[in-house]
Amino acid sequence: MFHTLSRLFCLSVAVTGLLSWSQFSFAAERDYISIVGSSTVYPFATVVAETFGRTTHFKTPKIESTGSGGGLKLFCEGVSLNTPDITNASRRIKKSEFDRCRANGVKEIVEVKIGYDGIVIANSIKAPRMKLTRRDIFLALAKNVPDPSGAERLVPNPYRTWKDVNPSLPAEKIEVLGPPPTSGTRDAFVELAMEGGAKTFPWIKTMKKKNKHHYKEICHTLREDGAYIEAGENDNLIVQKLEANPHRLGIFGFSFLDQNSDMIQGSLVDGVAPEFEAIADGSYPISRPLFFYVKKAHVGKVPGIPEYLREFTAEKTWGPDGYLADRGLIPMPDREREKFRHDALNLVPLEGI
Amino acid sequence: MNSTRITEKNTSELVRKGLKRRYRAERRFRFMGIAALCISVLFLVILFGSIISKGYSAFFQWKVRLNVFVDPARMDVDNLASADYAGAVKAALRREFPEIRKRREKRLLYRIVSIGASYQLRDMVMRDSSIIGSTVSFWAPLDDDVDIYLKGAYGKGSGRLKPLQVRIIEKFRQEGRIKKVFNTTFFTAGDSRDPELAGIRGAVTGSFYTLLVTLLLSFPIGVAAAVYLEEFARPGRWSDIIEVNINNLAAVPSIIFGLLGLAIFLNLFGLPRSSTLVGGLVLTLMTLPTIIIASRAALKSVPPSIREAALGVGASRMQTVFHHVLPLALPGMLTGTIIGMAQALGETAPLPMIGMVAFVADIPHGMTDPSAVLPVQIYLWADSPERAFVEKTSGAIMVLLAFLMAMNGTAVYLRKKFERKW
Amino acid sequence: MNTACYTPESTIIAGVNVHLHDTGDVNEDVKGLVSSAEDYTTVGNPFVESPRMKCREVSVDYSGKRAVFGVSLDIARNEVIAMIGPSGCGKSTFLRCLNRMNDTIPGCTVSGSITLDGMDIYDRKVDVVPLRAMVGMVFQKPNPFPKSIYDNIAYGPRIHGLAGSRSELDALVEDSLRKAGLWDEVKDQLDKPGTMLSGGQQQRLCIARTIAVSPEVILMDEPCSALDPIATARVEELIEELRDNYSIVIVTHSMQQAARVSQRTAYFHMGWLVEVGETDQIFTNPRHKLTENYITGRFG
Repeated sequence: MFHTLSRLFCLSVAVTGLLSWSQFSFAAERDYISIVGSSTVYPFATVVAETFGRTTHFKTPKIESTGSGGGLKLFCEGVSLNTPDITNASRRIKKSEFDRCRANGVKEIVEVKIGYDGIVIANSIKAPRMKLTRRDIFLALAKNVPDPSGAERLVPNPYRTWKDVNPSLPAEKIEVLGPPPTSGTRDAFVELAMEGGAKTFPWIKTMKKKNKHHYKEICHTLREDGAYIEAGENDNLIVQKLEANPHRLGIFGFSFLDQNSDMIQGSLVDGVAPEFEAIADGSYPISRPLFFYVKKAHVGKVPGIPEYLREFTAEKTWGPDGYLADRGLIPMPDREREKFRHDALNLVPLEGI
Repeated sequence: MNSTRITEKNTSELVRKGLKRRYRAERRFRFMGIAALCISVLFLVILFGSIISKGYSAFFQWKVRLNVFVDPARMDVDNLASADYAGAVKAALRREFPEIRKRREKRLLYRIVSIGASYQLRDMVMRDSSIIGSTVSFWAPLDDDVDIYLKGAYGKGSGRLKPLQVRIIEKFRQEGRIKKVFNTTFFTAGDSRDPELAGIRGAVTGSFYTLLVTLLLSFPIGVAAAVYLEEFARPGRWSDIIEVNINNLAAVPSIIFGLLGLAIFLNLFGLPRSSTLVGGLVLTLMTLPTIIIASRAALKSVPPSIREAALGVGASRMQTVFHHVLPLALPGMLTGTIIGMAQALGETAPLPMIGMVAFVADIPHGMTDPSAVLPVQIYLWADSPERAFVEKTSGAIMVLLAFLMAMNGTAVYLRKKFERKW
Repeated sequence: MNTACYTPESTIIAGVNVHLHDTGDVNEDVKGLVSSAEDYTTVGNPFVESPRMKCREVSVDYSGKRAVFGVSLDIARNEVIAMIGPSGCGKSTFLRCLNRMNDTIPGCTVSGSITLDGMDIYDRKVDVVPLRAMVGMVFQKPNPFPKSIYDNIAYGPRIHGLAGSRSELDALVEDSLRKAGLWDEVKDQLDKPGTMLSGGQQQRLCIARTIAVSPEVILMDEPCSALDPIATARVEELIEELRDNYSIVIVTHSMQQAARVSQRTAYFHMGWLVEVGETDQIFTNPRHKLTENYITGRFG
């Protein structure tokens, strides 16, 4: 008994040693594409990656969902093969990120815009469909709003019901479920919907030039008195909560509305319903472009990058009838697609921001 | 003072009065205990009920029988892997419904059958190229929307399906060409963005490798550390400091271990990101304190009389530990280890830091391959827009729970089996 | 050695009415009880001719607190020597010095000298492992290993390499069990766990285990305190038989037991060896006040 025990012990120690030795013998080489980045782009990039993996002899790329900022941080760490080859982003790369990339030796970055994502404000189909304007959204959700009396000053948001905001809206309590500040959807929402609404007040609009910081603060600060409810990153959860409580509204990406159209409906914003065509032609006001960035230094070192780009930019992928459109990606207009396909296939690097 | 009231005569009466109160207190306490138990059981039932009711359908799948003509014109004999199988499947569907002519309607028709049908056809042709030129008949998976429609996820409605598609499906159903089968794909496939093709094998394999690394490292290290601290180390300031630190480590939020793993294993050692090796190393850091603490408790519970007996017949310290103490403490150590492993199996917090929250379609074949693990797979599916992932999520949770139950059951079994009375 | 002052008044101070005995032995200048309750100097002759073990001025400290004060005592060949005394008097601690079991207790230091057949057992060069084979120990509570009866006995010979072959080992196990008087009871169930035996059998098994490594001295720390009277009688019988081959040091709380099994008796008090002598003499004619108080049941 005790001999077997001590033998077992020695064996496991030996295996441990072997394991730690094998770690260091691992060469810095990679036979699959490593992709990181936005959780908004993740559902689209993964479909492309899977198709790419199934229809070519290359391995299926690995895609981490790190968020746009997290992805760019990893991407810009350097050009060693431990860093990712591609990062997805639900916004354009920032100047600071671009500079950091260059400083770390990531000199040539290929920017590929892949399409648009609409941000929808939806409620349960059991309730009437809402017809909102961006001004309504701003007044309902900003922490501080212009004085209802018309004076050019800000007061803490006094509105309790939608009817308070706009007499044509129902007398329902304002309760909106939305993403937390870490989310790219939240960034896009405040930038497009809130800022769009704030700009309808001329004195706030002029402030943009005079005091940009204060302007941003007005537009980007959401209520903290319970009218805006941070519901976590999981959009499915928001959908389920809307289903359970028809008086609430929720904010999330178009693909979730598309998949759950039997349970929820998108509110009209500025008179336009969040439908595929409306987002595609730009008439729906809250939509944002989606991107990915390619590290040119890795092309040729990691197999399959040009082929992946070809798959992604093919008409059957990102075109109006492509399989990404089935998943809820709003395609770009023909000319824009043409431009980015050309840039991607010829690996034209970004000159500057 | 009250004591003046207590005389011989009324002592028993006072005791009797007090007795009633004591019994009441006891009954109250028991009632509260039972109530607490009922509440926890209720929550458990609700949890399991909701998971099982949502997830059991993940183990079934609707399939359709297709008759596909393997058109030699579409098959490039030199490059069979990338021939136009999807086209062949589409052509077969068109042949069945010649009345559908409009482009838009054709697209709706194509969308009824999963893309998996063309992969299936490809595999068949690759296996036996003699079927080129003939018509093959096989059961292909239906698209995820159709699948959950048939499973009744949309209730009476048809969800994302258009009336045309519903008509086509009903026609298939009347012809007896669709059937519900056990979903083997769920257990044999890796991750996929098409719910009907997605499976947990990649995640289960990843979890297996990760736990293997964790077990191989944390068990010997943990046991050795515990034996040294408990049996050999001189008590003193150093061993106190070590003990306090081990206990602290057990309480450190596991995300810290993720950051540590990122700094050491990825950045310093340059180990491959997202690999099960790094995952296992990080989870080793996390489970080590648990194992050390459990092992020390197991060693402490070995009665000193056994040590004395061994020393008394002339065994050395080392012989005493290895021949007598360790075998007796082993069941306790194993229990602690299994509980630590179960913890590691369900852990996700440190994994995003080392890149394990990732879409990995290929099944990992080694410890340096990128991989997801079961809880991460659950997290990723729960976050997917496609409705059909709801049942897959719950199905994967059921699998995870089954593993956890099996592990904890083993721990209980070991404890019972080796329980000794001295 | 620290000698407490002998004062005639102390008898009175102690306030104890004592009987006077003629000792007619050492310290003849004093009639009756040779020492008062205040004097811890050893009374009686602790030395024998050609002893197996010689203990000289043995003191034990637990982290600076002294538990045994300068005990000198010889252990003769083929004798049973009993150590008695009230709880906490240091008799067990002293016993554990004889095979260095105190080494395992942190903070315990032993001074003085103890020799076994002329070899200083606290010498740096001495290895405790063979020492403990030579000076075996039986504990208060029967503590068989949770292994089979056979393995319990065979463990010691195995680790010391005493048996060259399986058949030798078998013979050794049988012989040990026979000597412990257990063979007839267990010969058909050698593969059964030792822990399933009754308490008395377990204790005899432990004795057999000790015998198996052929020690010279067997230390017994209250071996019968956990046993019923019948099992106790059986063990006492066994001790009597074992005397032919071994020196036995037994710590006991039962004076009757000491009287029954031992030839010499040592009385310990507060860490001091107060009196030592022939068992008959100690129980019939104690020469120290404390001894007398103890055996007449005034305390302890």
